Amino acid sequence: MALRILLSTILVTTLLTGCGGSDPEFLDGRAAEIYSGECSDGNGRSVTIYSGRTENLINPVLEAFACETGTTVQVRWGASTDLALLLNEEGDKTQADVFLSRSPGPVGYLESKGLLGTIDDEVLSLVEEQNHSAAGTWVGFSGRKRVLVYNTDEYSPETLPDSVFDLTGPEFEGKVAIPGTNGSFIDWFTVFMDQYGTDTASQWLKDMVDNGAKYYPNNRSIVEAAGRGEISMGLVNHYYNYQEIAANGDTHKALNYAFSDDDIGSLLVITAATVLGSSENVEAAEDLLGYLLTASVQQYFTDRTFEYPLAAGVVPNAALPELTALEIGSVDFDKLGGGFEEASRIIEASGILNR
Amino acid sequence: MTEIQIKRGAPAGLRTAVFLLAFLFSFPGIYLVWRNFTEDSDPLSLIGTKRILTPLWRSVSLAFAVALTTALIGTLLAWLTSRTDLYGRKVWRVILPIPLVFPTFLGAAAFIRTMNPGGLTNRFFSSIGIEQTIEMRGFFGAWLVLTLFCYPYVYLPVAARFRQLPRSLEESARVLGKSPVTTFTRVVLPQAGPVIAAGTLIVFLYTISDFGAVQLMRYDTLTRAIFMSQLANQSVALSLSLILLLLAGVIVISERLFSRVTFKMDEALIGEPLEYSLGKWRKPAFFFAAFISVFSIGAPMLAIGDWASDGIFRSTVGGRPLTIDREQVWESAWNTFSISVLAGIAAVLAVLPIAYMVVRYKSRIGTFSHAVVIATFALPGLLVALSMRFWTLRTDWAYDLFNNTKALLIFSYVVRFGSLAMGIVLVAVAAVPKRLHDAGRTLGAQKTSRFMRIDLPLMAPGMGAAAGLVILSTMKELPITLLISPLGFSTLATRIFSSFEDAFVAEAGIMALVLVIISFLLTWFLVIRRAEHL
Repeated sequence: MALRILLSTILVTTLLTGCGGSDPEFLDGRAAEIYSGECSDGNGRSVTIYSGRTENLINPVLEAFACETGTTVQVRWGASTDLALLLNEEGDKTQADVFLSRSPGPVGYLESKGLLGTIDDEVLSLVEEQNHSAAGTWVGFSGRKRVLVYNTDEYSPETLPDSVFDLTGPEFEGKVAIPGTNGSFIDWFTVFMDQYGTDTASQWLKDMVDNGAKYYPNNRSIVEAAGRGEISMGLVNHYYNYQEIAANGDTHKALNYAFSDDDIGSLLVITAATVLGSSENVEAAEDLLGYLLTASVQQYFTDRTFEYPLAAGVVPNAALPELTALEIGSVDFDKLGGGFEEASRIIEASGILNR
Repeated sequence: MTEIQIKRGAPAGLRTAVFLLAFLFSFPGIYLVWRNFTEDSDPLSLIGTKRILTPLWRSVSLAFAVALTTALIGTLLAWLTSRTDLYGRKVWRVILPIPLVFPTFLGAAAFIRTMNPGGLTNRFFSSIGIEQTIEMRGFFGAWLVLTLFCYPYVYLPVAARFRQLPRSLEESARVLGKSPVTTFTRVVLPQAGPVIAAGTLIVFLYTISDFGAVQLMRYDTLTRAIFMSQLANQSVALSLSLILLLLAGVIVISERLFSRVTFKMDEALIGEPLEYSLGKWRKPAFFFAAFISVFSIGAPMLAIGDWASDGIFRSTVGGRPLTIDREQVWESAWNTFSISVLAGIAAVLAVLPIAYMVVRYKSRIGTFSHAVVIATFALPGLLVALSMRFWTLRTDWAYDLFNNTKALLIFSYVVRFGSLAMGIVLVAVAAVPKRLHDAGRTLGAQKTSRFMRIDLPLMAPGMGAAAGLVILSTMKELPITLLISPLGFSTLATRIFSSFEDAFVAEAGIMALVLVIISFLLTWFLVIRRAEHL
């Protein structure tokens, strides 16, 4: 009997509850750092986002946008790759107006499928030329720098090399972790191939493998392992280490190290926003993209998510490694979709994934 | 059971239902075949190449190893907790299924955090002068973690079966002077055999489909090859997936052919199952259960607890504010709880007609449907999610009706996890003695009345265990929940994923703790309390 009552309660409440709740007049928490004014009344517009950026980091921005403009915002959260595959299945019928990607690869994939629309020049011009697509299909809204995370018990900045090319040397034998299957690593490797030629890039990877480089599935697992001392160092995006330090404090014994300014190992990888070609809410979608590039949101990105701002003259957080000239947009980002396949193939063939 | 009854054709209603269910369950399979055509994939050209053979061999050898150890551990634990005087066995019954609820990406990460160099236990050991340097990784690490997290797939159904076995045969064996061990191997094991086989098969297929644990243990398998080529070379990814599914189909059908021999049951259920006294084995048995729990539950819980306590500490004394609030945790917890309970019930109801068809009637449709339901379990959840989206988009009415609904989400869970319920429900149906049915008919009971008063009570423990398995698995499910759920619907698993991805470990820890508590309560309610009353 108890079981029956419980089940019917679940059934009724689950099927009947919609997404209700009244909007707050003012925001609280981190969203309030972005917009502290009174929320606007609904403007009758709505925008649906597929976000490969995670809820913890991006939701405050979306809440602020909804409150400030009165636009209704709906989100599907997920991994960028999975969402890109979903968008491909959905084609023209997708509900998504905007896709936010954690790394360029999935954007290149959608572009190759012809699913992206063209963003208005006014929005594109908010960032420098190298940070948006020449064809207008995507715009960068924050940046992550490739760095070497290292265990502080074993190494100090003086003992670390100027270039990723030096990591193939005997003194780093068995010391370096590589996130071979990770999206931003593959993006980085694609740019590496583009800049130095496929032969040089594959030779470097082969030398790394011969030098005993170890495979880890993603940035986070490398940063965590370096903090414990399981590995000495690894090639990662800069910003995971800040979250680990915030979470684990002194017991996390790892820091970021930046290669020299002009080194390929110091690449800035941008996160990109796109509008889907099938979107019927283009205006609201472009408003959102413009909003991501406003001073208050860019400030939030650098203060709270420890990323590099790309617009509105916002100065990067002093805690971040200095920004260099080399940015992923300066190479032909639009061709990344195609290069991605070759990069994946070379990485698979190098044998790093079995290390 | 007479020949005439076996060969009697199934009623039209049942045939139609099973046919329809088989069609629904083959959505992912049909999707894969279709997409292989549209992407101009060439699976045949891949068969026999190094690109597939190497990762395939790694997947299959790992799956065999994990299946073998989980079969042993799961069966032994089931025996100990259901049929012996093990110390604290009621407590064990609530604790032992818990590893099922850890999302593998989190469970494996927590396990690594506790056990690997520089981890929590290592720090403790080195502070008392012991340097422990074993690093969990590769085949060994993947095997260990998957064994520790997957044994409940065997344990739960086998325990339900053990509690249901008639005592008459065992008593006869004992009367004839057979030792407890002989009784176990000659009488009990053959009767539980089909359930053990079904559970082991599930573990085998799960291991093949797993991505989270093998990835973190850095063991390169076929799923990794699929995931890596998904964006880069979709036709290869689709071909690999199809090969995976066909392989699973072959394995499932061979298991079916094999276990058909032992599947004729016509037994009387009289009284409580026989209970054995462990005697001098009581202490070793206790330590065995404790040993398994320390590693499968204790190790990950230590890291999860460490993360969570940091978060709870911070939220009370200040520090970096948490990115989640109480309301969000509550909302996700309720969503997790309600959707998984509904999925559990729906899955059991969906496989019930197929189980009837397989057990009561000799029918190709039955055998085929059963194989479809089970083999689908080898597919990574992401593919099931994509196939569901694909199907709802084919027709306008399906899109209008199902897009953004929980109904579609539940349906997807049922397709993904129906296999977990299938094996157990099959045995539950088979355990209903034909004689009782015939007696019921003779006494003039109607069909429905016979079902409600004879079948259902006898099948209830098995159905409870089946629903329990599906519920615990749904609670941690990720790719389907992310891609198919209505917009704005989040569960504990999706929020754990979101937090953990960006190293918000305190938030992930708190929600993982809530997840474990809910699963604990549900296990107690569904598996233990229900079974106890019967």
